[in-house]
Amino acid sequence: MALELTLYTLVFLPFLAALLITTVSARSMAWHSGLAASGSALGLAIVLSLAGRVLDGEVLGISAPWVPALGLDFSLMVDPLGLLFALMILGIGLLVVIFGHFYLAPSEATGRFFASLMLFQGAMLGIAISGNVLLLLVFWELTSLSSFLLIGFWKHKAEARQGARMALAVTGGGGLVLIAGMVLLGSVAGSFDLATILQRADIVQASPLYPVMLILILIGCFTKSAQFPFHFWLPHAMAAPTPVSAYLHSATMVKAGVFLLARFWPVLSGTELYTAIVSSVGLITMLFGAWVALFRHDLKSILAYSTISQLGLLVMLLGFSIKMAAVGAVLHIINHAAFKAALFMSAGIVDHETGTRDIRKLGGLGKVMPVTALVATLAAASMAGLPPLGGFISKEMMLDETLHVGLFGQPWLVPIVATLAAALSVAYSLRFAAHLFFGKPRDAQAHAKAHDPAAGMWGSPAFLVALAVLLGLIPMTLVGPLVTAAASAVLGETAPPLGLALWHGVNPALGMSVVAVAAGTLIVWQHSRVLRAYEGLRHLDAKHLFEQTLSIADKRVRKLIVAIHAPSLQRMLLAAFAVVVLFIAEGAVRGSGSLTGTRAGQPASVMAIVAWGLLIAATVAVVLEHRQRFLVLVYVSVIGLVIALAFVHLSAPDLALTQISVEVVTILLLLLALNLLPKRPPQLSGNGRRLRDAALALLGGFGVGGAAWAMLTRPANNPISGYHVANSYTGGGGTNIVNVTLVDFRGFDTLGEIIVLGIAGLAIYALLDTAARGAAGARLGTWQEDMPHSPERHPMMFVMATRILLPLVLAAGIYIFLRGHNQPGGGFIAALVIAIAFLLQYLASGFDWTDARRKVGEHLLIASGVLVAVATGLGSLVFGANFLTSSFGYFHVPLVGEVELATAMLFDVGVLCVVFGAVMQALAQLSHIAQRAARAHAANLAVRQEDGK
Amino acid sequence: MTLEFLLASAIGVLVAGGIYLSLRARTFQVVLGLTLFSYAVNLFLFASGRLTINRPPILQKGVTEYADPLPQALVLTAIVITFGMTALAVVLSLRSFLETGSDQVDGNECAGDEDEGPDLNAGPRA
Amino acid sequence: MSIASHFAIAPVVIPALAAPFALLVMRRRRWLGVGISFASCAAMLAVALLLLRAASDGTIRTYELGEWPAPFGIVLVVDRLAAIMLTLAATLSLIALLHAVIARSDRKGWHFHPMFQFQLMGLNGAFLTGDLFNLFVFFEVLLIASYGLMLHGQGPARLKAGVQYVIVNIVGSSLFLIALGLLYALTGTLNMADMGLRVAEIPIADQGLLRVAALLLASVFALKAAIVPLHLWLPRTYAVSTPAVAALFAIMTKVGVYAMIRVIPQIFGDDAGAAAWVPAPYLLPAAMLTAIVGFGGVFVARELSEQAAYAVIGSTGTLMIAVAGWQPDTLGAAIYYLVHSTLAGATLFLVADAVARRRASYADRATPGPLFQDRQLVAVLFMGAAIAATGLPPLSGFIGKLLILRSVADVPSWGWAWGTILGTTLIGVIGFARTGSAIFWNETEASARAQLPQVSRADLLAPAIALALLAALSIGAGPVTDYGHAAARQALDSASTARAVLGGH
Repeated sequence: MALELTLYTLVFLPFLAALLITTVSARSMAWHSGLAASGSALGLAIVLSLAGRVLDGEVLGISAPWVPALGLDFSLMVDPLGLLFALMILGIGLLVVIFGHFYLAPSEATGRFFASLMLFQGAMLGIAISGNVLLLLVFWELTSLSSFLLIGFWKHKAEARQGARMALAVTGGGGLVLIAGMVLLGSVAGSFDLATILQRADIVQASPLYPVMLILILIGCFTKSAQFPFHFWLPHAMAAPTPVSAYLHSATMVKAGVFLLARFWPVLSGTELYTAIVSSVGLITMLFGAWVALFRHDLKSILAYSTISQLGLLVMLLGFSIKMAAVGAVLHIINHAAFKAALFMSAGIVDHETGTRDIRKLGGLGKVMPVTALVATLAAASMAGLPPLGGFISKEMMLDETLHVGLFGQPWLVPIVATLAAALSVAYSLRFAAHLFFGKPRDAQAHAKAHDPAAGMWGSPAFLVALAVLLGLIPMTLVGPLVTAAASAVLGETAPPLGLALWHGVNPALGMSVVAVAAGTLIVWQHSRVLRAYEGLRHLDAKHLFEQTLSIADKRVRKLIVAIHAPSLQRMLLAAFAVVVLFIAEGAVRGSGSLTGTRAGQPASVMAIVAWGLLIAATVAVVLEHRQRFLVLVYVSVIGLVIALAFVHLSAPDLALTQISVEVVTILLLLLALNLLPKRPPQLSGNGRRLRDAALALLGGFGVGGAAWAMLTRPANNPISGYHVANSYTGGGGTNIVNVTLVDFRGFDTLGEIIVLGIAGLAIYALLDTAARGAAGARLGTWQEDMPHSPERHPMMFVMATRILLPLVLAAGIYIFLRGHNQPGGGFIAALVIAIAFLLQYLASGFDWTDARRKVGEHLLIASGVLVAVATGLGSLVFGANFLTSSFGYFHVPLVGEVELATAMLFDVGVLCVVFGAVMQALAQLSHIAQRAARAHAANLAVRQEDGK
Repeated sequence: MTLEFLLASAIGVLVAGGIYLSLRARTFQVVLGLTLFSYAVNLFLFASGRLTINRPPILQKGVTEYADPLPQALVLTAIVITFGMTALAVVLSLRSFLETGSDQVDGNECAGDEDEGPDLNAGPRA
Repeated sequence: MSIASHFAIAPVVIPALAAPFALLVMRRRRWLGVGISFASCAAMLAVALLLLRAASDGTIRTYELGEWPAPFGIVLVVDRLAAIMLTLAATLSLIALLHAVIARSDRKGWHFHPMFQFQLMGLNGAFLTGDLFNLFVFFEVLLIASYGLMLHGQGPARLKAGVQYVIVNIVGSSLFLIALGLLYALTGTLNMADMGLRVAEIPIADQGLLRVAALLLASVFALKAAIVPLHLWLPRTYAVSTPAVAALFAIMTKVGVYAMIRVIPQIFGDDAGAAAWVPAPYLLPAAMLTAIVGFGGVFVARELSEQAAYAVIGSTGTLMIAVAGWQPDTLGAAIYYLVHSTLAGATLFLVADAVARRRASYADRATPGPLFQDRQLVAVLFMGAAIAATGLPPLSGFIGKLLILRSVADVPSWGWAWGTILGTTLIGVIGFARTGSAIFWNETEASARAQLPQVSRADLLAPAIALALLAALSIGAGPVTDYGHAAARQALDSASTARAVLGGH
C-alpha cells in the first residue's frame, strides 16, 4: 500500500505541479519556477528513498487494471534501469528549472513554460517507470506533444513554429509506428505486461512477425533518438529556449529511443537482423553527426549534431548484442547526460551574456567569463573523451567493444569508423572550447558587456561538470553499483563484473583514442581548410525539404479534395444512383434463381392497358418536355391520376383517395413555386453528360422494374397482415383494415408521419417568413409576371363559387373523417380536402381576405395536433396499458346514425389537425409570397405606365 | 399482357425518368425527377403486397379474401412523408433561388467560392 | 404494470411533448421554451441512464406499442447498444443545447427548440425501434428535423448546401422504401427479429432478390453514415450549419453506422443464404477510403469548421474499419470508438465556433490574425479537441484506436487496416498542428490593431464539458469497454434477440 502511494505520487507529481503552475499563471515567475523546482525536488527525494531497495535487486512494481479488454494496466515498475532514468529526469530536471529561472526574462510567459516543462517531466518519467507496454506508449506520445509545446514556446518566431511542427510530425509519427510494433509485440508475446514480455524472447524471436515488429519498433526508437535518416528534426528543435534543449534534447527525451532499445534488449537483441540494422544505423549516425557538428557555427547547432553523434554511439553499442557493450552504453548514458546538459547551459549562458550564438563572432571569452569557460571546457573535454573525465572511460569501453564485432563479416569496419568518429568528436569538442574561450576576440561588441552570470545560473552546469569529473576519478564509488544493477536490468541477467578505471594499461583501445585525439587536434588546427572543403560540397536543407514536401502535398491534396467535393448535387446523386445500379446488378448476378417467379400473372383489362399507355406517354412527355414548365405539371398530374385509378382498380380505395388529394395539393404547390422560379430556359447539359445520365437512368429503370417484376411474380410468404385482417374489427374496432392499421396496429408510424408533416410545415414557415427581407425581398420586388393574366384580380364567379363551396367541403371533410375507421377516408384525407377548400379561398379571394378570416394559426394547429395524438397515446398508460393502446365503443347519434367512437379516432383528430395545419402553412405562406410578388409586379407596371405618359 | 407486367414496366419507366430528371442542372427539374421517382417507389412498395382485384381490405360479411392491407398502410404513410419532403424541397429550392439568384445545383455558378482557399498567411476575408 | 415498465417509450414521448409545448410558448415567453428544452433533455438523460443500468444485466427489454404482439405490431427493443446510443444522444444534446443558448444561436431564426426536440425524438426512436418500417419513419423524422436545424439562421451558404442535403436524403429515403418493399415481399414481415428468422426459409431461387435488398439497405445506411463515395453531401452541410447544430449532427452519421450494426447481424446474418453478411466485402475498402478522404480533408482544411466536418468523415471511416470485421471484439472496439468520436467531433465544431466568435472577419480560417481574447484558453481547448479527434493520448481516442488496432489484427487484410488507421492519424496530427499553430501561435503585426468583439467566456463552457467527458471516457475506459463489448456480443447474437422480441409467438 505504502509503495503504491509512493509510486503514484511519484508519477503524478509532475502533472500536479503543471496544474498548480497553470492555476497561478497570473503570478510572478518565482511562483512558477518555485513550484516546478519543488515538484522535481520532491520527486527526486522519492526516487532516492527507493534507490536502496532497487539497488539491492528488488523490483518495485504496482499494477491497477485500467482497460482489461485491451490489456492496458496502469502498472509501474521501478528496476535499476528505470531508476537510472528517473534519477536523470528528475535530477537534471531540477537543475534545468533552476537554470531556467535565471535564463528566462520575468516578462515572458513563464507560467506556460514551466507548466509545459513539468508536463514533459511527467511524461518522460512515465516512460521510464511504466510496467505496461501500452501505458508506455501513452507516455511516449505525451512526450512528443509536450515537446511540441516547448519547442514552439517562442511562438512569434517562424522557426520555432516550424521546428515544433517538424518535431511533432517526425517523433509523433515515429510514435505511431512504434504503436504498431508494440501492439504486435504484445500480441505475439501474449501479454502487454513489460516483465512478462521480457521473459518471452524465445516466443517473440521465433514468430514470423518478428522482423516486422522489430523494424516498426526500431523506427520508433530511431525517430525519437534522432538517428540517421530521421535525425533532421533535432537541430531545428533548437529553436526552443536553451533550458529546453538542455533537458529534452540532450539529457532525456532523445534518450527515450535508447532507453527503449535497452529496455527491450533481452527480447529483441541477439538476432542477425537486429545487430545488422541497429549497429550500422548507430555507426552511420555517430560518424555523420560528428562530421556535421564540426562545421556548424551556431553553438546550439554544434551541440545538436554532437548529440546526434553521441546518440548514434549509444545505439551502436546496444546494437552490438554484446553484454559488455550494453554495460558501456549504460555508463555512457550517464556521462553524456552530465556533460551535454552542462554544455547546453554554458551555450545558453554565452548567448545570454554576449547576445550571439555564432561561434565565428566569439572567442577569447575565457578572460571575461572564466567560470563559464572552466565549466564548458571541462564538459567539452569529457565529450571529447579525454582523461581524467568520465567521457574517457566510456569511450575506451566503446572502442574496446568495436574490436569484438565483425559487422557484415568485416572485422576492421567498425573499429576504423569508430576511431574516425572519435577523432571527429575530439575535433568538434576542441573547436567548441577553443574558438569560444581561447584565442582573441573576433567581434568586439559581442564582448562589450560579457561577464560571468550570477552563481544561480552557472551553478547548474558547474554541478554537472563536477559530476563529469568525479565520473572520471572515482567512477566505481560513484556509479559502480548503479551501472552494474542497471546493466543487469538491461541484460536480464547479472552483468559481467565491472572494473571502471582511467588506466587499463596499454591496449588497442588506448591506441585508438591516442590516434583519435591526435587526428582531432590536427583537424581543429586545420579547421578553416576543412571547412572550405566542406562548404564546397552541396548539402540539402532538411527543414526546407520538409516544409516544401508538406506544402506541395498540401497543394496537391487540396486540389484533389476540392475537386472531389465540388458543390454539385448532380455528382452526389450520380454517386448514389451508380452505387444502387451496381448493387442491383451485383445481387442479380451473384444470387441464383431466375428473374421471373412461379406466381401466375393476372390478365390485364383493356382499360388497364390504356391507362398504362397513358402513364408511359405522360412520363416520356415529362422527360422530353421538361422545359415547357407549366405543361409539364399537367403531364405530372396525369401520371398521378392514372396511379390513383390503378389503386382503385387494385383494391386500394384509401390509397386512391390519398393519392388524388395529395396530387392536387402538390400540383398547387408546384404551380405557386414555379410561378416565382426563373423563367430563362435551362441551359442544356452537354450531349456526353446527357447520354451518360440516360444510360444510368435506363439501367436504374431496368433494375428497379426488374426487381418489381421478380417480386410480383413470386408468391407471398404468409405475411403478418393475416393477423391484421383477423383482428381489425375485434381488436381494432374498425372494418377498414388499412385505417385501423394506420391508427392502431401501426399508430406509432402514423405518429411519426404526422410529426414529419408538422416539421415540414414549421420549416417552410421559417423559410418563407424571411423571404421578404434582404436579397430575397429585393428579388421578389423585381419579379416579372410571365403569363397573361385576367385584368380582374379576383373573378366574381370564382369568388362566389368558392364561398358557397367552402361549407359544403367542410361538411364533406367531417363526413370523410367520421367514416374513416370503417370506410375509405380518415383524418388525413379529410384534412387535405378541407385544406383544398381553404386554398381555393386563397386563390379566389386573395391572401388578405382569407387570412383575416382564418381564426387559428397553423402553429397552434400543428402543436395541438401533435399534443392530442401523443396525449391519446399516453391515455392508455393511465389504464395500465402500453402507449397507444386503443379502446372503442359504439354510440347512436341522431341523423348520423350508428357512430363508433374509438380512442383511435381521437388520435385521428390529432392527425387531422397536424396535416391541415402543415398543408395550410405551406400553401398559405407560398401564396403569401406569390401575392407579394404580384403586387410588386403591378406596382412596377404602374411605374412604367407613368414613365410612358 | 399481365397486370404484373404493366405495373413492373410502369415502375421501370418512372424510375428511369426520375433518375434522368433528377440529374439535370436546375432545381425545378430535379424536383420533377424526385416526384416521378417517388411515384415509382410508392408503386413498388404497394406491389410488395402483390396485386389483387376487387378485394378491398374493408371487412364485409362472408368475404374472407382481402388484398394485403399492410403494404397499403405503408404506402399511405410513405405518400404523406414524401409529400412533406417534396413540399419542403420545393419551398427550399425556391427560397434558395430568391436568396442567391440562381437555381443551378450543378455547382457551376458558384465556381468562384471553390478556389484554393486562403493560404496560411493571407489577410482577412474582404 | 409499474410506470418503470414504460421507460422504454419515454425517450420518444418526452421530446414529442416538449416540442409542441416549446412551440406554443416560444412566441411569448422565450425563456420558458428554453427551460422546456433543457428539462426535456435532462429528463431524456435520466431515463437513458436508467435504461443503461437496466440493460447492464444483459436482459433485452421489449415494449409492444398498442399491446399488439410482435411481430404484428411495432415493438421497441432496449438492449445494451440501444441504451448506449440513447445515453450518448441525450448527453450530446445537453452540450449542444447549452452552447446554442450561450452563443444565442437559438435566436437566429424560428423554432430552434421545437426542431431540436423533434430531432432528438427521431434519433431516440431510431435507436429504440425493432421494426424496419418504423425505423424508416424515424429516419424521416430525424432527417426533416435536421433540415430545419441545418437551415437555422439561413443565409445563402446554408440555403445552397441545404438544397443538396435535402434532395440527396430524399433519394436515400426512396431507396430505403424500395429495400423495404423487397424485404416485405420476400419475408412477409416488418419486424427485424422476425425477418431474421424468416430469411432462413427463403428458397435459393429468391435469394438474389434478398441480396439486392440487403445491398440497397446497406447503401442507404452508408449514405447516412457518409461513407465514400456516398459522403459528398457532408462537408459543406456540416461546415455551414450553426455550430451548435453541427455539434449535434456529430451523432447523425453514427445513426447510419448504428443502423448497420443493428440490421445486418439481425437480418442478414449467417442464415441469410446468398445475402449473408452481404455488404461486408465492400465495407472494409470503403471504410479505409473514407478514413483517407476524411483525414486528407483535415490535412488541407482552410477553416476549423471545414476541418471538423472532414474529421467527422475520417472518424466514421476509422469506425467502419472496425465494424466491417463483424466480430465481437471489432464491434466492441467500434462501439467505444463510436461514443468517443461523436463527442470529439462535436467538440471540434464548438471550439471552431469559439474561435470564430472572437476573431471577427478572420472567423475560424487558419490564417494568422490579431491576438484575440482568451487565446490561451481557446488554444488549450483546441489542442484537446485535436488530440481527441486524432486519437492521441491521454484522451479516449487513443484507447479507441488501440482497441481497433488490436481487434482487427485477426482479419485477413489487417496490414492495410493498420496502415490506414495509423497513416491517417499522422496526417490528421499534421493538419491540426498547422491550423492550430496558424491561429493560436502566429500573429500578423498588421492585423494586431484590428477591432475585435468582446465575447464572454461562457461559450467555452460547452466544449470544456465535452472535453471533460472525453477525459472521463478515457479514465473510465475499463467499465465502458466492458459494457461496449457486452453490447457487441448482444448485437451479434441475433437468436437471443429474436427470442426476447418474439417471445412465445
